[in-house]
Amino acid sequence: MEERTGGFASIGGALGGFFGAIGRFFAEFGTAVVKGDAFVKLSLLWWGAGYARRKQFAKALIMTLLEAAIVWFTLSFAMSYVPKFSTLGTVQAEQVFNIATMQSEWNDYDNSFMILLFSLFSFVVWAVALVVWMRNVVNVYQLQLQAQQGRHVNNFVEDLKSYLDEKFHITLLSLPVLGIVVFTVIPILLLILVAFTNYDQQHMPPTNLFTWVGFANFSALFGGSITSTFGYAFVRVLGWTLVWSFFATLTTYFGGILMSLLLNSKLTRGTKLWRTMLVMTIAVPQFVSLLLMRNLFSNTGLINTFCSNIGLTGFLRDIGLISSSTIPFLSAPGWAHVMIIIINIWVGIPYQMLIATGVLMNLPTDQLESARIDGANPFQTFRHITMPYMLFVTGPALVTDFVKNFNNFNVIYLLTQDVYVTTDQFMAASQAREVDLLVTWLFNLTQNYYNYKMASVIGIMVFVVCAVFTLIAFNFMIGGNKEEGYQ
Amino acid sequence: MKRGRVKRAGRLLGHNAIIAILCVLWILPVVWLVCTSFSSYSGMNTSTFFPKEWSLIHYKLLLTPDTVNQFPTWFMNTFRIACWTCVISTLFVLMVAYATSVMRFKARKPLMNVAVILNLFPGMLAMIAVYFTLKTFNLTNSHIGLILVYSASSGLGYLIAKGFFDTVPRSLCEAARLDGCNEAMIFWKVVIPTSRPIIVYTIISSFLTPWMDFVYSKMILNAGISANYTVAVGLYRMLDKSLINTYFTQFCVGGVLVSIPISVLFLIMQKFYVEGVTNGAVKG
Amino acid sequence: MKKILALLLALVLVLSLAACAGDTTTNDTTNDTTNDTTNDTTNDTTNDTTDDTSDDTAAPSGETISLTLWGAEEDQALLGELVEEFKAAYPDQTFDIQIGVESESTARDTILTDVEAAADVFAFANDQLNDLVAAGALLPLDGDIAQVLPAYAGKTLDDVKAANSAGSVEAASKDGVMYAFPMGGGNNYFLYYDSTKITAEQAETWDTLLEAAAAAGSKVGMTLNSGWYNASFFLGAGFSTVLNADGTTTLDWNGTSPDGYTGVQVAQSMLNIASHPGFLAVTDGDLSNQIASGAVCAVVDGTWDAAACQTAFGDGYAATKLPTFTCGEDQVQQACFSGFKLIGVNAYSTNAGWAVLLAEFLTNEASQTARFEARQVAPTNLNAAAADAVTSNLAIAASSAQDVYGFVQDVGGKYWDPAATFGQMVANGELKVDDEAGIQEALDLLVEGAGASVE
Repeated sequence: MEERTGGFASIGGALGGFFGAIGRFFAEFGTAVVKGDAFVKLSLLWWGAGYARRKQFAKALIMTLLEAAIVWFTLSFAMSYVPKFSTLGTVQAEQVFNIATMQSEWNDYDNSFMILLFSLFSFVVWAVALVVWMRNVVNVYQLQLQAQQGRHVNNFVEDLKSYLDEKFHITLLSLPVLGIVVFTVIPILLLILVAFTNYDQQHMPPTNLFTWVGFANFSALFGGSITSTFGYAFVRVLGWTLVWSFFATLTTYFGGILMSLLLNSKLTRGTKLWRTMLVMTIAVPQFVSLLLMRNLFSNTGLINTFCSNIGLTGFLRDIGLISSSTIPFLSAPGWAHVMIIIINIWVGIPYQMLIATGVLMNLPTDQLESARIDGANPFQTFRHITMPYMLFVTGPALVTDFVKNFNNFNVIYLLTQDVYVTTDQFMAASQAREVDLLVTWLFNLTQNYYNYKMASVIGIMVFVVCAVFTLIAFNFMIGGNKEEGYQ
Repeated sequence: MKRGRVKRAGRLLGHNAIIAILCVLWILPVVWLVCTSFSSYSGMNTSTFFPKEWSLIHYKLLLTPDTVNQFPTWFMNTFRIACWTCVISTLFVLMVAYATSVMRFKARKPLMNVAVILNLFPGMLAMIAVYFTLKTFNLTNSHIGLILVYSASSGLGYLIAKGFFDTVPRSLCEAARLDGCNEAMIFWKVVIPTSRPIIVYTIISSFLTPWMDFVYSKMILNAGISANYTVAVGLYRMLDKSLINTYFTQFCVGGVLVSIPISVLFLIMQKFYVEGVTNGAVKG
Repeated sequence: MKKILALLLALVLVLSLAACAGDTTTNDTTNDTTNDTTNDTTNDTTNDTTDDTSDDTAAPSGETISLTLWGAEEDQALLGELVEEFKAAYPDQTFDIQIGVESESTARDTILTDVEAAADVFAFANDQLNDLVAAGALLPLDGDIAQVLPAYAGKTLDDVKAANSAGSVEAASKDGVMYAFPMGGGNNYFLYYDSTKITAEQAETWDTLLEAAAAAGSKVGMTLNSGWYNASFFLGAGFSTVLNADGTTTLDWNGTSPDGYTGVQVAQSMLNIASHPGFLAVTDGDLSNQIASGAVCAVVDGTWDAAACQTAFGDGYAATKLPTFTCGEDQVQQACFSGFKLIGVNAYSTNAGWAVLLAEFLTNEASQTARFEARQVAPTNLNAAAADAVTSNLAIAASSAQDVYGFVQDVGGKYWDPAATFGQMVANGELKVDDEAGIQEALDLLVEGAGASVE
């Protein structure tokens, strides 16, 4: 799930292209309706009409069944949730115990969350139905044109075959897109909506109802009342999230390149053995390896015992870096921040090393050769040839890595959960800690405090920050889409 | 001349010494994990590197199920889930990558842009909604539900594979088309066979997810039926305050046993993995 | 057209998946049956996991009563036996009782995520009661449902209340309504010590205790960065916590207690203890590890770590109530939050009547005795608690001695993080004993943070 990679088109371009496509789509539909014959117009009501007219009875049947299915869905499912969408339900749960059956009997109560989820589900189905409806009219109009001009009209088998040829993309994309819509798009839309409700521990379905509150949650984050310290915590958590993403990305990126150069140098003996050792660390699941790391660096752990034995702890205390009897590797701000980044280097370098190894294998050798002849030293070669090439090839991936680190749940959660307690009382009042990323904070808010509304607001902010960053980074780095150039 | 050779030998030694030190540093936590797993003490020992007493007892204990630990079952569960996830994800990724890389259609750019936007939302946020969606279809506490969670959205991770497909020479496809192949045949007979590295890469990354994830699986397998757990949920539960003293070493054993097949997979497929991610990353 | 194809394909895929995975799940559980001999009930019922919601609706016929039960991992074998006894007690009725694993300390998290999917009957620690009641997850036992007890179990709810210790009934109730059956007590904390290094007399006050530990080259361990532990100082000095109807927590710790101590004085006492060389601040999850590693010769901990202490302290193993601490000029007895383990019934349980009977059965005198024998859990049932084996158990005796100074845990969800932070500040020495203004400010913020409105 964490593996998702971002993309390279800028968001601005994304939106522009998107609306352009919508505009064209509506224009086509308009033309079809205006210029179509009676059967095309009838297709607005009966989806199969146009096909039946052109003797495409299989298609006509399919479209009619589809239309019936959508009507059935609307009447039997959608209408029991969508009408309540504006209030998110009004009937509280009530129960009576019936001693004769030994069972509890319930009234027909509303569940705000289910109303929200299923209404959204209905909206998505309707939206798809709308597109199919409009698309259908356009197709039928095209059929009419083909018939009028005496061109060949596909029969059903030919239609099916086209799904393996010029319409193969539809066959390919249907299932993946369906999966993405159900498991990513609807959940994201739902939680965007939750940000405008008061879904929290005081309003938990099924016992309690929640309802719309407009922008109240956003003003709680930015306005900041006397009792709410969300704004205070948000700024600090966001700050650390940015610092973390920056360092986590850069350290592992350059570390990986250096490690790969070291391993692939002509001087190295036993490259395979070394590489295998590094790759082994990837194979241990993070929830095992990072929990071990946490114990290793705990206040009473192995490293602390060792440091105290060699006198490092005493030395650090003497020069005033620590005040406690142990080195608070993962339990004090500052120390913990640095340690988390260092441990992340341990986690991330093997991956980056593998990637860098692969990319550097393709490094044009003639350039290296000419540099060597010109008498460039290894550092100059690295600075002027290797790095520019690496950046050119993996630059976009760097932006993706930044976004990934921005949402890097595992490292922070596993290293600090249960062991890091903040000493900042304002942060504590918002259930945040100095080492939290926005994503671990929102996880904590949902899992332990059921504060879904604030978690959703934070989630939206994560999106905004990532989007702004990606936009700037891509415009700055590549200034346009170079996709076609490669092919 | 001789001085030069000594100097070179010195550089060689120094260079390899640095690598050796780095690699030992990297492997040290793994060695600690392995050592701890051979300890005869069941609780958490954080004061010494090597166990005070070596023993195989916890390997035996972990492989003999009791009320808390059903590791062999968990292992098989995870393996099955991982296989299905792997098949579905790989198919999805390749399908989306082919459609966006080789084919040209109107909705292509908008779809790709939507994918970019979706990737910017934190996945954690969607968890509760995913849970209730699954519950609607009665798929919580089932492995099918977990497989869907791991693989249904995998199409979004198509970029590396697309980058790879972009490098497949268009002339190959054109030639096939002239031979009367339709798009489906080009996909199966031309592009897939030349894409072994990226397929291996996709297989490995999707195969690993079920072994590593403890957040989603814990939420979806919430009926407390131990025989249904995946390795990650089962092992993670051993760290419960009331269990850790009895089960910590078994937890480490579990970590070692999970790592072995994954390391083997990695070592065998390393070459393809590197090739796949690299050629994909050139673009993706 | 797109859609049709998509739906058809999805259907085919899901069906094929369902067929395959459905098969394998069943195979799985049958394999396990051979391995698992302790509780056949778990295995009998795991076969149904793929369609467990249909179970719930199939019940009304009155033929088979389906119930799910959640208990701690270490309780599974015992629960299996008790459930068999429960079935035997009602031979006329067929039951399908599924036992799942859910730790008592995390039950709240799993239940509140989806109340309707949670077990009919579940065990939990009483610190979660307020949240569960607020979310409407617990069935109030005083309503119509109370009729089932006289009708089927031959006792009334008042009998149950009378049979258990007053403290446990209070901990299982909110606003006078009983929400759960007390299952076990002793879920508080007290002092374990190694009597070869510390005498019983030295264990009576923190001052002598810390001196003795330091003299023995060892330490006294206690968790400070948790509101559950560090409240013991304030409660001891007469301060209180109040859980309001809106879920907020009112603390008076920044003022003066009815006993005449100021919050600053209590914090100063805590700081003096925390900065003593004989003191070791330990995080909660790390306590047992510290005991086992031999780093401490005394520890503030609960009955769950009795075995670890017994092993570590050997012949010197001893336990007693918490010591007194110096507050101002006086010695003040350190208090504690009383802790109980409870068994509650899900408010959304369909077969609520039988669920209540099962919950009652699992907490009756015989079951509590069995639980004590299997897991050394202190019974709350007065008869069971009077047994010789119980009263002679060192840890349980110390736990009940401390319970005299126990308080019902009247705090809401917003209390924990600010309280943990205050404890961490004390443990880290970020507050200074002579900086009364700084301490006062920290206390003010603690009170404000804990009192914030619940969202």
